[in-house]
Amino acid sequence: MVKAILDKQSIEVEEGTTILEAATERGITIPTLCYHPLLEPYSACRICMVEVEERGKKDLRTACNTAITEGMVIETSSENAIRARRMNLELLMAQAPGAEVLKEMAFEMGITKSRFPVTDETEKCILCGLCVRVCEDVVGAHAISFVNRGADRCVSTPYGESSEFCISCGACAYFCPTGSISLEELTGAKIVHTELPLGPSTAVRVPFMQSIPNVPFIDAEACINFKTDGCKLCEKVCEPQAINHEMKDEFIEVDIGTAIIATGYELLDVSDMQNYGYGRFDNVLSALEFEHLCNAGGPTGGKILLKNGESPQSLAIIHCVGSRDKNYKRYCSRICCMYAMKFAHLVKEKTDADVFEFYIDIRSFGKGYEEFYNRMLEERVNFIRGKAAEVSNAAMVPEEEGKLVVRCEDTLAGFIRRIPVDMVILCPAVVPREDVSEVGKLFGVTLSEDGFLKELHPKLAPLSTSSDGIFLAGTCQSPKDIPDTVAQGAGAAGAVLSLGDAVYLEPINSVIDEEKCVGCRICIGVCAYDAIFFDDEKKVSKIEETLCKGCGACVAACPSGASTQNGFTDAQLLAEVEGALI
Amino acid sequence: MTKLKIEDLAKIQEKTKRLTNLRDGAGRVKITVHMGTCGIAAGARNIMSSLLSEMEKHNISDVIVTTSGCAGLCSREPMATVEIVGESPVKYVDLTEAKIVEIFNKHVLGGEVVTDYALAVGSERTH
Amino acid sequence: MKPYRMHLMVCAGTACVSNKSYKIKKVLEEEIKKQGLEDEVAVVTTGCNGFCAQGPLMVVQPDGVFYQLLKEEDIPHLVEEHFLKGRPVKEKMYVPPEEKMPIPTMDNIDFFKYQRLIALRNRGLIDPEKIDEYIARDGYNALVKALTEMSPDDIIREVKTSGLRGRGGAGFPTGLKWELTRASENGEVEKYIVCNADEGDPGAFMDRSIIESDPHSVLEGMAIGARAIGATKGFIYIRHEYPLALERLNKAIKQACEYGLLGENILDTGFNFDVDVHRGAGAFVCGEETALLAALEGRFGEPRPRPPYPVEKGLWGKPTNINNVETWANVPIIISRGSKWFSEIGTETSKGTKVFSLVGKINNTGLVEVPMGITMRDIVYKIGGGIPDGKEFKAVQTGGPSGGCIPKALLDLPVDYESLTDAGSMMGSGGMVVMDEETCMVDVARYFLTFTQDESCGKCTPCREGTKRMLEILTKITQGEGTEEDLQLLEELANEVKKSALCGLGKTAPNPVLTTLRYFRDEYETHIREKKCPAHVCRKLNVYTIDPEICVTKGHGCGVCMRECPEGAIAGEKNKPHRIEQDKCIKCGVCYEVCRFKAIYIQ
Repeated sequence: MVKAILDKQSIEVEEGTTILEAATERGITIPTLCYHPLLEPYSACRICMVEVEERGKKDLRTACNTAITEGMVIETSSENAIRARRMNLELLMAQAPGAEVLKEMAFEMGITKSRFPVTDETEKCILCGLCVRVCEDVVGAHAISFVNRGADRCVSTPYGESSEFCISCGACAYFCPTGSISLEELTGAKIVHTELPLGPSTAVRVPFMQSIPNVPFIDAEACINFKTDGCKLCEKVCEPQAINHEMKDEFIEVDIGTAIIATGYELLDVSDMQNYGYGRFDNVLSALEFEHLCNAGGPTGGKILLKNGESPQSLAIIHCVGSRDKNYKRYCSRICCMYAMKFAHLVKEKTDADVFEFYIDIRSFGKGYEEFYNRMLEERVNFIRGKAAEVSNAAMVPEEEGKLVVRCEDTLAGFIRRIPVDMVILCPAVVPREDVSEVGKLFGVTLSEDGFLKELHPKLAPLSTSSDGIFLAGTCQSPKDIPDTVAQGAGAAGAVLSLGDAVYLEPINSVIDEEKCVGCRICIGVCAYDAIFFDDEKKVSKIEETLCKGCGACVAACPSGASTQNGFTDAQLLAEVEGALI
Repeated sequence: MTKLKIEDLAKIQEKTKRLTNLRDGAGRVKITVHMGTCGIAAGARNIMSSLLSEMEKHNISDVIVTTSGCAGLCSREPMATVEIVGESPVKYVDLTEAKIVEIFNKHVLGGEVVTDYALAVGSERTH
Repeated sequence: MKPYRMHLMVCAGTACVSNKSYKIKKVLEEEIKKQGLEDEVAVVTTGCNGFCAQGPLMVVQPDGVFYQLLKEEDIPHLVEEHFLKGRPVKEKMYVPPEEKMPIPTMDNIDFFKYQRLIALRNRGLIDPEKIDEYIARDGYNALVKALTEMSPDDIIREVKTSGLRGRGGAGFPTGLKWELTRASENGEVEKYIVCNADEGDPGAFMDRSIIESDPHSVLEGMAIGARAIGATKGFIYIRHEYPLALERLNKAIKQACEYGLLGENILDTGFNFDVDVHRGAGAFVCGEETALLAALEGRFGEPRPRPPYPVEKGLWGKPTNINNVETWANVPIIISRGSKWFSEIGTETSKGTKVFSLVGKINNTGLVEVPMGITMRDIVYKIGGGIPDGKEFKAVQTGGPSGGCIPKALLDLPVDYESLTDAGSMMGSGGMVVMDEETCMVDVARYFLTFTQDESCGKCTPCREGTKRMLEILTKITQGEGTEEDLQLLEELANEVKKSALCGLGKTAPNPVLTTLRYFRDEYETHIREKKCPAHVCRKLNVYTIDPEICVTKGHGCGVCMRECPEGAIAGEKNKPHRIEQDKCIKCGVCYEVCRFKAIYIQ
């Protein structure tokens, strides 16, 4: 322990305690700028000057990094210290007049303006180094550093270019006391259209504004701690200590009686449709991307902007991209016409842009849908009947320079049109998830011709499947909009609840006689429904009744005759033949 | 070059001592061979060479040899002046290569003035 | 060894080399061969002799004759007359200013006579690229003594009692520094020795000279230091702009290694010591010890606050002893001749000698080593030969951009650490710039601030912003736009920067301003109130006027100034007095220079 005098009070502190730490503990305020309790002191701003008498000599020292020694006499607000602080603040104010924190500090010190001339009114960076120190020492990304000497000193990435080492963690922006750093500037990304989620992704983030639960998660791919065992800055700042980097994925086995498959849909990947230029041109978006753009939690805060940050003057929305198309999907995706009109409505609400909709038919079948269509007509949305053939950036006339040109046949008017627009939105076909057949196999559900999961009966049993107790809900079964999905979901839930505690099995199913089974497992190979499994203990094959569809393949394949089909045993068949012939 | 031991340092010092003495201008003896035009014509250069060879033979390190212009007594060239620290300078005249070698051994090394070859024992010192 | 009777010590320090001294050596060797003297006369290149303004120079040993301002054309005559015929050539000898008679021998020239060579003990006497010649002059004897007759504590004691203080500028007692380094975590961690050869002060070349003339003195000193504190590894941080010194240093290290005087098991005593050379990259701030360590570690060269000091936590966090080149060069001779001998030179608090680079408005420009305590007057007048052209002495600036100006009134100040600091200046690394009546002190302050502002690393606010603003104000004043408030602000700013800067660069950058304000405040006031520069240096404040009488009676209205004026600001006819139109005049000063009749004067 070390004894000293702080502002005329006797104090006793642990060895190594700095003046700033001791003062803060005792409620004495010493202004700081480049200090942060989570980082090593840097003592660059020279604002925290205090007057210290040590071994008979008086001196000005920085409070943030000076350790208290035995017998030290400290005056935090002596005349000399205040004078030094004021001068340094004046100097900073002239260097970075845009920094609010300096203005606040000046107000508290009674300084109205700086006596030094200002070169850049907008400059905010006070060169405190917090961003650099975080990036280097804590995060360990080393993406930014101080460059240049003396008055030219500034914070930058190497050569001012986009840094591949920046992990967009945002720590620098978080620690910056003046708001001088913004992620945008650093990574060079203004708006990124072509990725979902849009914008740079950070290691700790809330998936999107409306996610449930609305809490952040740690992306193990991006998190520095998983790469270098360092950082863990998040743990340091989390007050309720809710962060645990050691958490692992858990695999839980649950015994179930029934299941509802509601695995949803995807949009068709239209990058290989060369004629629409998706992925080639800036400002050609797919529907979900535009949806994200309009969202208040999106990269632009809901503003509709082109990739270069400007507002579009005109937009085109192209229906049936990949739907009703013998080259892609023959079916109609059902939801596109309505959301396309919704987009048009949003555009009209948020901007003054012209909107052109290229359609084959307008399918506004639902409650209030037709009325909405009429409203769009009134809002002067241009509906052009004719599937758009091509989106290109090759201008043929001056008006088309710098724009995307949509070429279509206006079938009602009867001629080919070229319409120049700033942004194009594509309505891709609704398709089932990539892994839909694997999911189906798991539960014994097949696919229908269009690739979606097959319902028991398209009209009379759209919720059930050929496996009793397995139900479908939502777009995994076929494209549908929200009201219909909700209805189907409720229906599936109801069906499950009304099941009671039993499921109905097919009467015609197969059975394996344990005594006769030799364990060759040929039946497991031929079962199309994955309904047979091998019992390792008894070394025989067994059929899962709920999955068996009674197709008889295993019966035919079994070399020892262990597998028989109820209602179609050899004896029964022979008996039938006998009965028919005699 | 091999790594030195402490004794080796002293050896190098000895070897190069001739050098250091020369540069410090510190020597026990200074021999001036007069090399004015008359001197050179009379063969002073050979005198110089002989003297230097003799010095090398005896491995001398504390004798400074230098030249000067004409001393004035042109008829008696080649001439040389021997100054030993603490003693009066001695001017030798009518020198030959053999004589200078004898003077070197007798006077410079032995300390005895070779009066037969000397002109005068002077007082003007340069050393 | 050939029995050479004559050694020609040709100076090959950077200054003389750039003045073609290597060419002179070549011509010398050719001429000597022509005259058949190649077995009698040896040509030796040495390091810097110190009398740099008179280079290329050569000293003829054993005669001690000093030749200067040599040209290739002089050599044949020189060889024939002096080396063959023994008649030294008067025309190439040094003639003191205001005098007619040349002084033949070096020892009689004032510039050399009053110097006491300790750190520069071998200058001009050895070829720095031949280790044997260093050994011949007692080289490495001190190391032998330190390794075989003394314990590390003995060595430290000896250095302490000698009173040697750091020659890099701060003047910290060297022995004490060694003691502290030795005491840090004794025996438990690796320790390092560093030589600071970053010498950044503009115009300073003491360290360069030492390394070019006598690199082994530094190496031997470092080895002794390493033994004393218990280190086995040394680093020399040499500034990038010293290619010749670097070359000589590398050669010296190579030769020392070959002789086993560096490396493992030195001289069979079991002592290991190894030296690496690190080249700087053009930053003055890296002469500051913590910034230097950062640069050695490969980090951004900026200082860090102290404590902890390098003796506790230095290179890679280990105890490190950093000393300046000149300090190291003093160590071997202290060990050889003893601390008592050393402490008898100098003053009570400042022992030994110091090397100064004497430059500026002085007759004898060059490098001098003098005992501490010598008066400034002696240095300027006795050694320096006074001010040229009969001008008046005004001030001498010591310590480079970290130092201050000593005015005429303090000419009898003894030169040592304390006196200079009390006068507001500092010893610094040894730069001495002499100024005469034609120097503007405000401009001098501005000049030094330009340097420190450019070299500031930019980490701390007072230095980065403060030097910039001080420079702004000084520039304003020299351009005639300064106000009383500016002067006040300047003084206030200078005082605050001095107190709150992080490192030595920032803390001492205001010194030129503060000392010129202290001793020459009237000049500032003249600049501000009368908008005039008394020394006529600040061009913008000069008002050029033509004296009509002289113009007509002497010059007959010759019109030369009118023709030379780039702005056409002079009007006049032949035989009539010419006139300068002040609003057109851009104050370039050309007319002032071209008028042969001195008809133009500055008001």
